[in-house]
Amino acid sequence: MSVAIGGLTLRGPVLAASGTFGYGTEVPLLQRRALGGMVSKGIFLRPREGTPPPRIAETPSGMLNAIGLQGPGVEGLIRDYAPRWAEWDFPVFVNINGETAAEYGELAARLDGVPGVSGFEINISCPNVEQGGLYFGNDPRAASAVTEAVRRRTKLPVWVKLTPMVTDIGVIARAVEAAGADALCAINTFVGMSIDLNAYRPRLSFRTGGLSGPAIRPLALHLAHQAARAVRIPVIGVGGIERAEDALEFLVAGCSAVQVGTATFVNPRAIAEVHDGIAAFLSSKGMAELSDLPRYLPRD
Amino acid sequence: MFLVETGIIAKREVARDMFVISMEAPEIAASVRAGQFVNLGWSRGPLLRRPFSVYRVDGDRIEIVLKAVGEGTAQLLATSLGDRLSCLGPLGHGFGISTGPKSVALISGGLGVAPMPLAAREARSLGIRVSWIHGARSADDLCSETDGDEVVWATDDGSRGFRGTAVAAAPDTDLVLACGPNRMLAAVADRWPDALVAVETYMGCGTGVCLGCAVPLKRGGYDRACKEGPVYRAADVDWASLPSHLHYAVMP
Repeated sequence: MSVAIGGLTLRGPVLAASGTFGYGTEVPLLQRRALGGMVSKGIFLRPREGTPPPRIAETPSGMLNAIGLQGPGVEGLIRDYAPRWAEWDFPVFVNINGETAAEYGELAARLDGVPGVSGFEINISCPNVEQGGLYFGNDPRAASAVTEAVRRRTKLPVWVKLTPMVTDIGVIARAVEAAGADALCAINTFVGMSIDLNAYRPRLSFRTGGLSGPAIRPLALHLAHQAARAVRIPVIGVGGIERAEDALEFLVAGCSAVQVGTATFVNPRAIAEVHDGIAAFLSSKGMAELSDLPRYLPRD
Repeated sequence: MFLVETGIIAKREVARDMFVISMEAPEIAASVRAGQFVNLGWSRGPLLRRPFSVYRVDGDRIEIVLKAVGEGTAQLLATSLGDRLSCLGPLGHGFGISTGPKSVALISGGLGVAPMPLAAREARSLGIRVSWIHGARSADDLCSETDGDEVVWATDDGSRGFRGTAVAAAPDTDLVLACGPNRMLAAVADRWPDALVAVETYMGCGTGVCLGCAVPLKRGGYDRACKEGPVYRAADVDWASLPSHLHYAVMP
């Protein structure tokens, strides 16, 4: 079930989503044979402490999180994790973050050529401090500037993870495609909120958080489909996928691969089950390859 | 870490609205240490698993103790004997009781009794004398099961034993282990900085990847209750920054 994503061949169409798989070292091995690849926890140039607790809140069929991209910074990542990735039999993409377009570029330059780093997933859902905290991902020019800043500094594959918090995802998708992205990941978490009725205040200390889980699946599917219609580069579907059937919906809707995230918290075997379930579906329909799967992708 | 498909095979009430449930989980029963926990999920349950300290081990069985504090625990208590449960564990680092101390105080408040029977068993197997100090609001809320060479009861209303907190009722011993509401553990930290305390936080994955169960540390930064914890040296936790108690979510 190998798939080609922007010049890179993955051994399978199911990847672990950023922020739900750590750096791959915390997770028991039972997932690994089925992994087409993984995307690391989001990283900044410098170490970050993250937000105070409570950082998570469960909502109907979903989970809000505001972790604040806690992490060791790029040097810690290169020292502690990349050497282990270099020994693995699947590619590891680093989810990169910054406060300015230049920071994203620096991060890519620092990681380019580090053994174990196979490519980048740009998180454009960060506030742009040079534009008063407006999110890169909401503005086609800022999204494209970040993509270009990374593209200029690396030959490795560059994926851009789109935010769903936009009026027209197609506009952003086309902008980052034109700026040199090799693939898109659609979509990041939705911004949500939940109130604690004992304390009369938000349940998350950060006030808002990113909503993930099956609650967002139909929304994510629609946006991934819209993105896929808008561009020629591959789209990796992500958002609420728990089972093979969910993943197949994204694939039929025009995605080339999928990422599984929050579902792995619930079911540590989710990635393997999604992978095996896709294979079983193809075989039950008499299809030899994933490319035989009919797609529903009318072009814009 | 093991993922075990199991089911509830016994349930008993040990205090008002507080129950112990048992399940078969041989691999976990064989390897769990006091203070470690399991993460339980069930079909048609809430999205996320729910973490519980392992209360007691009996052959191939493990037990947990719970109250209906939110939708998840209410569902779990409403499940019938034989209903399927998915049990992931053992998770986290336990108390790590080892030889050295001659006496240990196991101080618990309410549901904080959860890791104590296992701690008592481990301590006794090392020849350590166990003082069991258990407190709750009122006599009916006290967990009826104890395991100590000495047992001290404490109630807020004085309806049984010492009138006041379990912390105030505890004797001084070589080693202090505590579990209960975070504000109780902050009081433990004031009296015994070297006490080992098991904290409670909201938890996402239980396996160290989501960073949702952040515990603020005195030296700055956070670590993970599910991985480095849930047991900490009391003085190492920044108690002022840890939510003093959890407002359990009741989902619609």
